[in-house]
Amino acid sequence: MTMQKHQKQYVQRAVFTRKGALSYIGHLDLMRTFERAIRRAELPILYSQGYNPRPMMVFALPLGVGIHTEGDVVDVPMSVPVDPDEFISKVNAELPVDLKILSSISIPEPKDSLMSIVAAADYRIEANGIGTVASKILDFEEVITTKKSKGKIITVDIRDLILDVNTIDDDSIVLKVAAGSSKNLRPDVFMNALCSSVNYDKESALDATVTRTALYCNCEGKLVGIA
Amino acid sequence: MGIVNISHRDLMSVESPGRYVGGEPNQCIKQEVIDSIVNTGSCKEVRTAFCFPDVYEIGMSNLAMQILYNCLNSLDYVYCERAFAPWLDMCNLMREKNIPLYTLETKSALFDFDIVAFTLGYEMCYTNVLLMLDLGKIPLLSKDRTDKDPIVICGGPVTYNIEPMCDFFDAVMMGEGEESILEVAEVIKKYKDSGKQSRKEVLKALSKIEGVYIPSFYEAVFSDKEGEKTYYTEAYSRIKKEDGTVEEVPVTFKGVAPVQTGLRKLEPEAPDVITKRIIKDLDNVLYPTDPIVPNNGIVHDRAYLEIFRGCIRGCRFCQAGFIYRPVREKSPDTLCKQGIAIEHNTGYDELGILSLSSSDYTGLKELTDGLLDAFEGRHSSLSLPSLRIDNFALDLMEKVSSTRKSGLTFAPEAGTQRLRDVINKGITEEDIMASLKLAFTGGWNTVKLYFMLGLPTETMEDVEGIALLARKIEQLYFDTARELGIKARKPEITVSTSMYIPKPFTPFQWERQNCKEEFLKKQSYLRSLLKSKNIKYNWHDVESSLWEVVLARGDRRLNKVLLEGYQSGLTYDAWDDQFKFDTWMSLLEKNGLSWETYARNYDTDEVLPWDHISVGVRKDFLLSEKKKAYDETVTPNCRVKCSGCGATCFKVGECVASR
Repeated sequence: MTMQKHQKQYVQRAVFTRKGALSYIGHLDLMRTFERAIRRAELPILYSQGYNPRPMMVFALPLGVGIHTEGDVVDVPMSVPVDPDEFISKVNAELPVDLKILSSISIPEPKDSLMSIVAAADYRIEANGIGTVASKILDFEEVITTKKSKGKIITVDIRDLILDVNTIDDDSIVLKVAAGSSKNLRPDVFMNALCSSVNYDKESALDATVTRTALYCNCEGKLVGIA
Repeated sequence: MGIVNISHRDLMSVESPGRYVGGEPNQCIKQEVIDSIVNTGSCKEVRTAFCFPDVYEIGMSNLAMQILYNCLNSLDYVYCERAFAPWLDMCNLMREKNIPLYTLETKSALFDFDIVAFTLGYEMCYTNVLLMLDLGKIPLLSKDRTDKDPIVICGGPVTYNIEPMCDFFDAVMMGEGEESILEVAEVIKKYKDSGKQSRKEVLKALSKIEGVYIPSFYEAVFSDKEGEKTYYTEAYSRIKKEDGTVEEVPVTFKGVAPVQTGLRKLEPEAPDVITKRIIKDLDNVLYPTDPIVPNNGIVHDRAYLEIFRGCIRGCRFCQAGFIYRPVREKSPDTLCKQGIAIEHNTGYDELGILSLSSSDYTGLKELTDGLLDAFEGRHSSLSLPSLRIDNFALDLMEKVSSTRKSGLTFAPEAGTQRLRDVINKGITEEDIMASLKLAFTGGWNTVKLYFMLGLPTETMEDVEGIALLARKIEQLYFDTARELGIKARKPEITVSTSMYIPKPFTPFQWERQNCKEEFLKKQSYLRSLLKSKNIKYNWHDVESSLWEVVLARGDRRLNKVLLEGYQSGLTYDAWDDQFKFDTWMSLLEKNGLSWETYARNYDTDEVLPWDHISVGVRKDFLLSEKKKAYDETVTPNCRVKCSGCGATCFKVGECVASR
């Protein structure tokens, strides 16, 4: 196989939301939905090399099934510069109604992949009475819970993955957790822990709606919002 | 009014919730109709729920659904939505919480629709039809429905013998539906406008549409050897006495299941024979160039381009080869335009070329050249199943395949030339070897071979022939490598066998099916012969084929069996892990029937349950083909010589071209 010359990339870093029907598809399906919308929009997206070229897109962090988002980030590399406003309007015209690009900026080809810089995420969790108990979890030195990993159920301490719990009102909180490829806390694991550690009602936990509201990277020891 | 509001929690509790939410690009949203439904609880438009009796991922891969959805929604007085069978976890949830089955577009309960239409592609989906009607809160039996219930209709290839399911449908559409579905919608529109006065009258009006069969306008007559008679007009086998009372009667007469001896009209105006509909000009019929693109991954996740209908070949086992006659092609020009539009409108990177035998399409080169040119630089490709392997095909496969050389597929169907002549499979061992020599020379090393066990006249010698052919192919691979002076890789040869199921409207429609023991004996014999590590042998489950023959050749007595099966919890028979063969067999027995009732050799002068349906191909032609099969005589394809099958009655396509 011949080495392919690296193609210059003009990247659109876009912030998108998802809600409704589109919240119930998996991450791979979400990626495919974006790919097809960008193909329909006839934008000059770059493709990966090799036997099975795919449109090159980098999502900051996979979105679990059932989770809405108000501020997820995707990098879309193009072969030529594209005006952000044109990008937004063309892609939004092709996306299903429950997916929408809010904003986009042109950035130079990032040195580090978007995925690799994610360090933390905010989730707004709306559930009956959650605001009255959730912040108590911050007083614990350890929060032991179980999660599924590679088909096995394992016991883990998630305390240091919980960065903050911000109570908005009795029925909603904003949870800040470690996120990314090295350390990551899924909101459903947090909810399980909440039930076991502060006796939060399991039934109410099942009714919780979860919305990712922000993603952060680590910039000289401080968390800074991405895009 | 039944608008379903399914909770986040409920969706999160089932597998693949994306199946149940809709919201895909290109789904049809008629906002004014929706507003009217939401604000007033009704609308003047004909509401149609188009149902596919399997899960979303399978249903959304179905082309018929996409076509008819578009046809219906092209009418401004119709709003067509989609519904699929919920998977078992969702079924349980819906029952538990009393949530009716709903459509994806507006989340309306099925019982709220004017038309509930099913497309039936395979017999094993029958119990899922009952599941969907039941969850949709629609009476299962046509006779129990009233004016406030939807008109339940169906179409699709298996409906040519709908008798086993006929009690559950109000009307059945024979043949291609693009035109007749619009005629049905028009009749229902008038019915709705008039305030739905009489269900009987609307069925009468539907029966006037060519190709529409109203099962309740007929009753089947069964007799035992002594000529005693009983009539079947509904799911429960009852005798109607002269004074109008109805008496339950046993189905079995003196221990022997009676046979159908006729079909009696109950409605004088109903036609004696229902002839299937076909589309005469495929270039000028609506074909969806903006199909719905699922968000949730589906089984065949690509766009489709149908290039022609029918098949010139006439393989004697193949139902599709007869029921879709005559052969009608679309022009390469139309197809190129449509293919380009589809690729653009969907964002798919793969366009599947669809037909029964792509190599027989006369404009294949022009079409593939045109599409590949248009797709240049767009990272889009074609997929071409059912190609006959020759130089052109290999060249084409090289061009379209973005990945490594994929496997080659051959369907010799039978292991010896004798048996291939019996089934009229116009392919010789020399053909196969010549194709493979080309392919091996070109660097291919993966070959899949498909065969059937239990074909009429088959002997153990024919079964052995399958193994011999596979071994010859293995040898050919190494010989070719030696000739080319290259180091041979390992060839990968896969032999797959399925069980032959005699189907209506084929020359073998009267043939018996092999019994379980025969099938198992043949499978194990073949397994013992295929021991090479380069050859892999796959075999299908025998029992599902035994049940399929019952449904395929069955009569009206099976309605009761299917209903009882559904009521005892049987659904998703097409799914191996859900299929319960033993339960079905005991239900047959309970009703005085058996596998043999439908798998036996039928007399050629017997009344067949599907005799009142015409697909154009005449019964006497099928009989002459059956005789030729036993003489091991082949029939040339439609382009070589017209065999006079009867499909000329439609006066289009190949039938006109070759005269």
